[in-house]
Amino acid sequence: MSEANRGFAGSSWNVEHLLSDALRPIEPPERLSGRFEDTLAAVTQAAAEELSDWAEELSESELRALRDPRNWVRPVVAMGAGGAAAGALVVLELRRRGRREAKVGLRSLADRIRP
Amino acid sequence: MPEKENVEPSSLDPEAKAELDRAFEDLYRTHLRDVYSYAYYRVGNQHDAEDLTEQAFLQAYRHFDRARRESDGRPLRPWLIRIAHNLASNYYRDRSRRPQTSLETADPIVARHGTEAIAEGREELRQVMAHLDRLSDDRREALIMRFALGMDNREIARALGRSDGATKVLIHRAIKQLQEEMGDDE
Repeated sequence: MSEANRGFAGSSWNVEHLLSDALRPIEPPERLSGRFEDTLAAVTQAAAEELSDWAEELSESELRALRDPRNWVRPVVAMGAGGAAAGALVVLELRRRGRREAKVGLRSLADRIRP
Repeated sequence: MPEKENVEPSSLDPEAKAELDRAFEDLYRTHLRDVYSYAYYRVGNQHDAEDLTEQAFLQAYRHFDRARRESDGRPLRPWLIRIAHNLASNYYRDRSRRPQTSLETADPIVARHGTEAIAEGREELRQVMAHLDRLSDDRREALIMRFALGMDNREIARALGRSDGATKVLIHRAIKQLQEEMGDDE
C-alpha cells in the first residue's frame, strides 16, 4: 500500500483516512455476554436472599406494620435490585445466540485469513 | 417538564416486561460492539473496557423503559454511549487516573490489523494515535465516536450533550489540530 493510499497525500496528511484506519471498531470478547449474565444473576440472587431473610425475620406485629406504606422502603429497594437483575433471562438468550453466532464469526475470520 | 417516573422493569406487568426484555436484548446485541469499542478507546485496556461495558448495560437496563418512552423513536445509541461516557468520566475521577495504556500503545493497533498493514502502516497509525491521545478529552471522544463507532454529528451531539452546531465545530477543530500537529512532525 502506498503512502498516498494510506494517508499521506501530496504535502499533507489525510487525517480522516488515518483515523478510519486506526480507530476501527473492536469486537468484544465472547466471554463478556456470559459475564454480564453472571452479574445479573448474582444481583438477582442477592435481592432474593435479602427479601427471603427479611420475610423470615418478620414477627406478627411487623407483618401488621407492613400494611403501612411508610414501611415499604426495604422490600422496594430489594425488588429494585432484582428488577435490574431480572434481565438474566434476557441474557441467557443472548448467550445462546452468541454461541450460535460465534460459529459464523469464526467462519468469517477464516475467510479473512485465507489468501 | 416534570420528571417522568423511572419504572423498574420488575414493576411492569409480565407481557410488558417480556416486550421490554426483548427490546433490550435487541439493543444489547446491536450495540455491544459500539459500547465496548468506545470503552476500550477511552480506558485503553481490555479489562477495564469489559468492566465499563458491563456497568453501562446494567445501568441501561435499569433505565431502559424510561429511555424508550422519552426517545420518541430516535435511536438509543447516543443514550447508551452517553452512559458509557459518564461512567468513564467517573472512572477517572474516582481513581484519579488516566488510561493505564495510552492509545498510542494500545493493543488494538496490532490486533485489529493484518500483518501487511502492520508492516506498512504501523508507524503512521502509531503517530495518529499518539496525537489523538494528546487532544483534549472532548475532541478525542468526538473523534472516537465518529471514526470507531461511525456516529454522525447529530448522534455525537446527543451523546456529548451538545448542540449539533457545536459538535460540528468540535470535530472540525479536532481534525484540523491533528492535521497541523502531524504536519509539524514532518
